[in-house]
Amino acid sequence: MTSTLAPPQAAVARTEHATKVYGSGETAVRAIDDVTVEFAAGRFTAIMGPSGSGKSTLMHCAAGLDSLTSGEVFVGDVALGSLSDRELTLLRRDRIGFVFQSYNLIPTLTALENITLPSALAGRKPNREWVDGVIETVGLRDRLSHRPSELSGGQQQRVAVARALATRPQIVFADEPTGNLDSRAGAEILEFMAQAVRDLAQTIVMVTHDPAAAAYADRVVFLGDGKVVGELADPTAESVINRMQQLGG
Amino acid sequence: MSDAHRHVKGLLAHKRRLVGTFLAVFIGVAFLSGTLVLGDTMRGNFDTLFTEANAGTDVVVRHASQLSTDPGEPDSQRGLVDASAVDRVRNVDGVAAAAPSVEGFGQLVGKNGDKLGGNGPPTLAGNWIENRDLNPYRLVDGRAPRADGEVVINRGAANDGNLRVGDTTTVQAPEPIPVKVVGIATFGSSDGLGRVTFTAFTLESAQQHLLHRTDQVGSISVKAQPGVSQDELVERVQRVLPDGDEAITGAKLTNENTSDINKEFLDLFTTFLTVFAGVALLVAAFSIYNTFSIIVAQRTRESALLRAIGAGRSQILASVVFEALLVGLVASAVGLLGGVGIAGLLKVLFDAVGFSLPAGGLVFNASVVVISMIVGVVVTLLAGVAPAVKASRVAPLAAIRDVSVERTTASPRRAITGVALTAIGVGVVLTAVLSGGDSVLALAGLGALLTIVGVLVFGPVVARPASGVIGAPLRWLRGVAGSLARQNAMRNPRRTSGTAAALMVGVGVVTLFTIFAASLKSAIDDSVSKSFTGDLVISTGTFGGGGISPQLAGDVAQLPEVRDATGLGRGRALVGTGTENVTIADPARLGGVLNLDVTDGSVRSLSSQQLAVSERIADDKGWKRGTTVPVTFSDGATTEFTVGAIYKARDIAGNYILPRAAWTPHAVQDIDSTVLIRLKNGVALETGRHAVERTASAYGAPDVEDRGQYADSVGQFVNMMLGIVYVLLALAILIALMGIANTLSLSVYERTRELGLLRAIGETRRQVRSMIRWESVIIAVFGTVGGLGVGVFLGWALVEAASQGTGDMIAPSFTAPVGQLAVLLVVGAAAGVLAGLRPAHRAAKLPVLRAVAAE
Repeated sequence: MTSTLAPPQAAVARTEHATKVYGSGETAVRAIDDVTVEFAAGRFTAIMGPSGSGKSTLMHCAAGLDSLTSGEVFVGDVALGSLSDRELTLLRRDRIGFVFQSYNLIPTLTALENITLPSALAGRKPNREWVDGVIETVGLRDRLSHRPSELSGGQQQRVAVARALATRPQIVFADEPTGNLDSRAGAEILEFMAQAVRDLAQTIVMVTHDPAAAAYADRVVFLGDGKVVGELADPTAESVINRMQQLGG
Repeated sequence: MSDAHRHVKGLLAHKRRLVGTFLAVFIGVAFLSGTLVLGDTMRGNFDTLFTEANAGTDVVVRHASQLSTDPGEPDSQRGLVDASAVDRVRNVDGVAAAAPSVEGFGQLVGKNGDKLGGNGPPTLAGNWIENRDLNPYRLVDGRAPRADGEVVINRGAANDGNLRVGDTTTVQAPEPIPVKVVGIATFGSSDGLGRVTFTAFTLESAQQHLLHRTDQVGSISVKAQPGVSQDELVERVQRVLPDGDEAITGAKLTNENTSDINKEFLDLFTTFLTVFAGVALLVAAFSIYNTFSIIVAQRTRESALLRAIGAGRSQILASVVFEALLVGLVASAVGLLGGVGIAGLLKVLFDAVGFSLPAGGLVFNASVVVISMIVGVVVTLLAGVAPAVKASRVAPLAAIRDVSVERTTASPRRAITGVALTAIGVGVVLTAVLSGGDSVLALAGLGALLTIVGVLVFGPVVARPASGVIGAPLRWLRGVAGSLARQNAMRNPRRTSGTAAALMVGVGVVTLFTIFAASLKSAIDDSVSKSFTGDLVISTGTFGGGGISPQLAGDVAQLPEVRDATGLGRGRALVGTGTENVTIADPARLGGVLNLDVTDGSVRSLSSQQLAVSERIADDKGWKRGTTVPVTFSDGATTEFTVGAIYKARDIAGNYILPRAAWTPHAVQDIDSTVLIRLKNGVALETGRHAVERTASAYGAPDVEDRGQYADSVGQFVNMMLGIVYVLLALAILIALMGIANTLSLSVYERTRELGLLRAIGETRRQVRSMIRWESVIIAVFGTVGGLGVGVFLGWALVEAASQGTGDMIAPSFTAPVGQLAVLLVVGAAAGVLAGLRPAHRAAKLPVLRAVAAE
């Protein structure tokens, strides 16, 4: 597989003093509070933290699904804060891939149609060769004409990963992608994602609370109470658990 | 928290999705109660009018024979009573007063030259009765007529025609009579007897102009002395009457009048309206059923977990029953109020198309409340609870598992039942229509019902492939949004077909009427082009509300430009065993303007002892040339006629033709309804028309029409009927559209997560809107196409069945107006766009994150 390898340290997406406040006055909750973080190209970053630490909010804001109260998010060199709904939508469609925890697929479409849906929405023909490679990688060749209801949970997530990769997005955001899967299926999904980073130089940001999942990443960003409270490079399950214990998690 | 309290809270929480249901029930009930109120109002108004008209009259003496029960037909009157009877009756013990009464056709001409009245209510002329007890009219201006040519007119006519005391004008009876208005009268306190126009002459003038004889009167109104009962007086009066005259009580006359108007007009009118209220309610029921199906499905899932841990299904049922009951009650109650408005609007509608109904306050009977409430609540309950019962049978865990896709498929049993019912229905219709016979309409109606039920049952089976086919072009036209729309329309065939069913019924009925009207009009055009061989026609307009003097045909025939002119009169006579409409004409002249397609005998040489009958009647009754047929006229005289000719073309001439020479001696007023004219060769149409118009101007300037205009004016009632039908059905279509909008809104709600996902991965708002809109269009087109199919078939059946009848109506010949049907299809699709607007808007506004994050 040939692909342009970006310089390893260039940030594909970053946040600057990102703050998101829900509610106002006495009941205001700062879901993320002055978070400045970079997601380097070709890297697999995991965002970890306990429930309510703001990890999902950070991901949603970084992915253009939610807006910040203050601060800024950049995807490439585009500042998301100034974009209209339509521009945001097109940005998500063309530059970002998504894998959610559940309900990732359109039930009326086949696996293949789901995988090529972002291209179809853009009115473009998918890059056949690339898509074939992705499908091969996630091992879905014989399931392409099945509809989601005919696939197992693991297979559905594989379709979701394939869809996220199919448009060769600048960055893929995955929100607890293995949260609903048994450990074997989960491991498979994580392996595909790691492989995509390794072989295809894909940039992936994954939110998880599972140290074993985080171990597949190149780097772990720890969040607590809406702030970045630590980082870990080349994590293993043990080192992640240790760090979490240090952080009092 | 009490159960009821909880239910109410639940209801309010979901009030949005109930808006559609509420509106459907509301419109349906409003329409139903509106038609009931209008019917009651008119019944009440007529009742009051007739009671008032006969209030002071205790006994009426009249000729006993009766051929026609139609009070609006001046030439179908009874025979006359000898004037000498008046004095004899006056001398009967117990009679306080007796006044001779004359009544006939007489149409006033307004100040601007336009004829007044008509369009349903009769235009009457009569004599002014001085006795206040026996005359329901009261002078409010001027004085009673004293000399020939002086008249009192009712205030309604005076206002319409801008006539005042001292004005001179013309009354056509049907010969034009110059008159001077000397008085204006009210009927009781109102402007007239409904919309009837009334012109009162002196007795002598009335006799002279309306009866053409002074030794007879129409009837005698009698007032009893105090203490003498109506029944008693009838007995006494009857004793002094010659054979052939009868005395009846004023109360009985009122009853007769009332039941006549009911039979002839109101029953038909209210049935007609009720049918459309029924269609509206049926469509509403579909919408309600569909809405509740979805609500229940959603709630089943919402509470699936609860049920899994032991909550009973009766709890879910109870809340649905409560919801349906409350919606039914509230919407019906509000609908009832709306009905008053609808009744008013319907009256305006009928007025607008030139169909006058009597004025008067609305009558609001308790029965309307009871019927409307019961129908509204029962329909809502049935349509709402049925899906709840069905849904509650689903195992709770199945409901949980089935969260994402409701890919219900139609069962084979449904397919078989649907096909079988449709096939039987179509079979019954075909058998009925093709075999003919007396019960064609009843049998075809039964078949039609079976066909519709079959199609409705079968709907879900075809909904998926049909939506696929309808949506196929969208993949290319609208890209992925179109493709998704198509998939969404296909994903739940039950829902799609249920939603489309309402529109199907509405469009089906519209199509049926469109086909029938087009067939009727083409038959009219056909008959004018085939049977009518002349160039010009003098006619009295759509309702035949006017009349033409028979002299006009004679005058026109004298014109140098005219080759042939003959008047056709319409009358009623007892022919053989039944009272029939007969055409009165000069047989010798008829052939010059009408191609009757005579199969036996000769119309031209018909003697005054012979009549001609249509082939259909001859076949039906087994008559041949030479068969003796007794004919009884309105004056009671019976003459033996023989069948002198049998003809095929009955569209203009009707089923029976009587020679004028045989008719005139028995007729009180001789009136033509049409004059058919053939110009001499080489005379330009416009030249001829001017000549005829000049002659006709002396007769109140009736319309002179060429062949095209004549066909149009004959067909005008078809357009009028169609106009009313369209307006009435627009309500049903509106309900169907709200049903589509409601279903889509609920589907959007149901697919919140899916929509969120689509938005997250890059579907723009515009694409979301397009997707929902096109789903709506697919459903609408599916319903419209279904309705067109069913409507065309049943329209064909109705046309065939109607053309086999022996009635006087022109037999329709089946015509499918392709253009109009195409317009219907386009309107259906456009309606889909309209119905999809709001749901599409809401879907596009869904916040992406909430949808994605929703658990």
